[in-house]
Amino acid sequence: MSAVTSLDTPVPRKKTVSERKRRARQVLLQDNLARALIVFLGFVLWQVGVNQKFIDPFLMGEPRGIALEAWRMIETGQLLTDVVATVQATITGFLGGSILGSLCGLALWYARRLARILDPFFIALNSLPKIALAPMIIIWFGSGIFSKIALAFIATFVVSLLTAYQGSHQIDANLVNMMRSLGATKRQIFAKLVIPATMPWIISAFRLNIGFALIAEVGGEFIASEVGLGHLIFVNGNLFNLNAVWVGVLALMIVAACLYLFVTRIEKRLFAWAKH
Amino acid sequence: MQAAVAIPVAPAASVVGKTAISLKRLKKTFEDDEGNVVEVIRDITLDIHDGEFISIVGPSGCGKTTMFNIIANLLEPTSGEIVLRKARPRGKKGSPIGYMLQRDLLFPWRTILDNVTLGLELAGVPKAERYDKGRAYLSRYGLGDFANAYPHSLSGGMRQRAALIRTLITDPDIILLDEPFSALDYQTRLVLEDEIVSILREFGKTVVLITHDIGEAIAMSDRIAVMTQRPTMVKTVYDVGLSREYGSCLKARTDARYQALFDAIWADLDIQLGGK
Repeated sequence: MSAVTSLDTPVPRKKTVSERKRRARQVLLQDNLARALIVFLGFVLWQVGVNQKFIDPFLMGEPRGIALEAWRMIETGQLLTDVVATVQATITGFLGGSILGSLCGLALWYARRLARILDPFFIALNSLPKIALAPMIIIWFGSGIFSKIALAFIATFVVSLLTAYQGSHQIDANLVNMMRSLGATKRQIFAKLVIPATMPWIISAFRLNIGFALIAEVGGEFIASEVGLGHLIFVNGNLFNLNAVWVGVLALMIVAACLYLFVTRIEKRLFAWAKH
Repeated sequence: MQAAVAIPVAPAASVVGKTAISLKRLKKTFEDDEGNVVEVIRDITLDIHDGEFISIVGPSGCGKTTMFNIIANLLEPTSGEIVLRKARPRGKKGSPIGYMLQRDLLFPWRTILDNVTLGLELAGVPKAERYDKGRAYLSRYGLGDFANAYPHSLSGGMRQRAALIRTLITDPDIILLDEPFSALDYQTRLVLEDEIVSILREFGKTVVLITHDIGEAIAMSDRIAVMTQRPTMVKTVYDVGLSREYGSCLKARTDARYQALFDAIWADLDIQLGGK
């Protein structure tokens, strides 16, 4: 009898799905709590070490000093100004370089011969540490935001160009032939096959580029600047104000993580078809 | 006694005799790395009749892929020609030869509906019209529920069916199949053989199947052309027609003539293991 009743009961499918989701969220919450605990414990140990004179706060900084310094910078608005300056230059250079680079890389699919001729130059440019160009860029564009944008642009442009170009050349020849047998023109093959097939490559370059853009931008700030997190770190480092340096470093970490998350979020949204 | 019955010399009565495509003295040579001329195909001369299902069977390494590429017009023969007998209606886009490979070549970023209507899209058919046609085809061949699904959520057999619909929807005169089942498991394969033969027969298509699977060729074909080792020539042409007689490939495999044909073709292929 009980077997019959259980058969009659409709299986609550929706509920199990939402339950699984809830469970996943719970696990994530627990993981995040553990992570927060690690950070907290680290700071506590650091502070205890300083208090017990194991750690020299002049050379290493100390959590309480960092907190006070951060609070001061937030109050004066300096931290916000620096964060905004760095983020602005990074994002502008990143978007410009990545988008233009991807377009140029895709366009090279059309011009096979030109691509072949230019190939060694791309490789050379790609292997060059872009920060080596900073002194020149600063002479050309000044010590303001434009030189930082230019640096982030160059750092990302070459990566995007190479990735898009390589991606578009790894498309299965069978797919191209199939399009052709259906009567596709070269332009149609480009628009309906090459661009979408290269998209995952382009976006993965975006993910790398957000890091490269930040490196180039902060490097530029180290060399010559008036604002920005790089400026903050560099100036305070010269003054041996380690607590302020830590504020800059931590802020930079948070900025980098946020930018990375932002790009991966977009990636997920764009490639719903790829999920399993 | 039965073996003699199995190989009638006259063309099967059920096949309408007009020639759809003539392969005339096709020859293909390649140059290897040291500049030696390698003869892959010596002479293929074959008339393919309108509305028939013909298989080309050869030992492995006999240049099947080369043959496929030449018939599909992806590769120029070194000499000889392919003559299409049917005049192509004006304004009809795309190749008169559609094909289907072992891999389905569906675009992972497109829904099944957008995949099967690709040929219509390339020809500039308005969206509403091509979607109507696509949906009609899909529901007719059991994929109606998957119109808006992405290829990764379909089984291998379903994907191959979708690939066939994509080929059929642009109405090519001749359909070329290159081992379309070899990536599928045995059961799916038997079912799909039947399905595809009946679909193609319904449309009255001329079909050329290139395969190394003797059983598959016998079960599906009206005629079988057996090739020699490299350099490839046509060795023997068999009239089969079992699937047309029974209306089913599965039943064709149970006929006594099936085994006789198998033995004869096997002998023709002259396959020896372990070197020359």
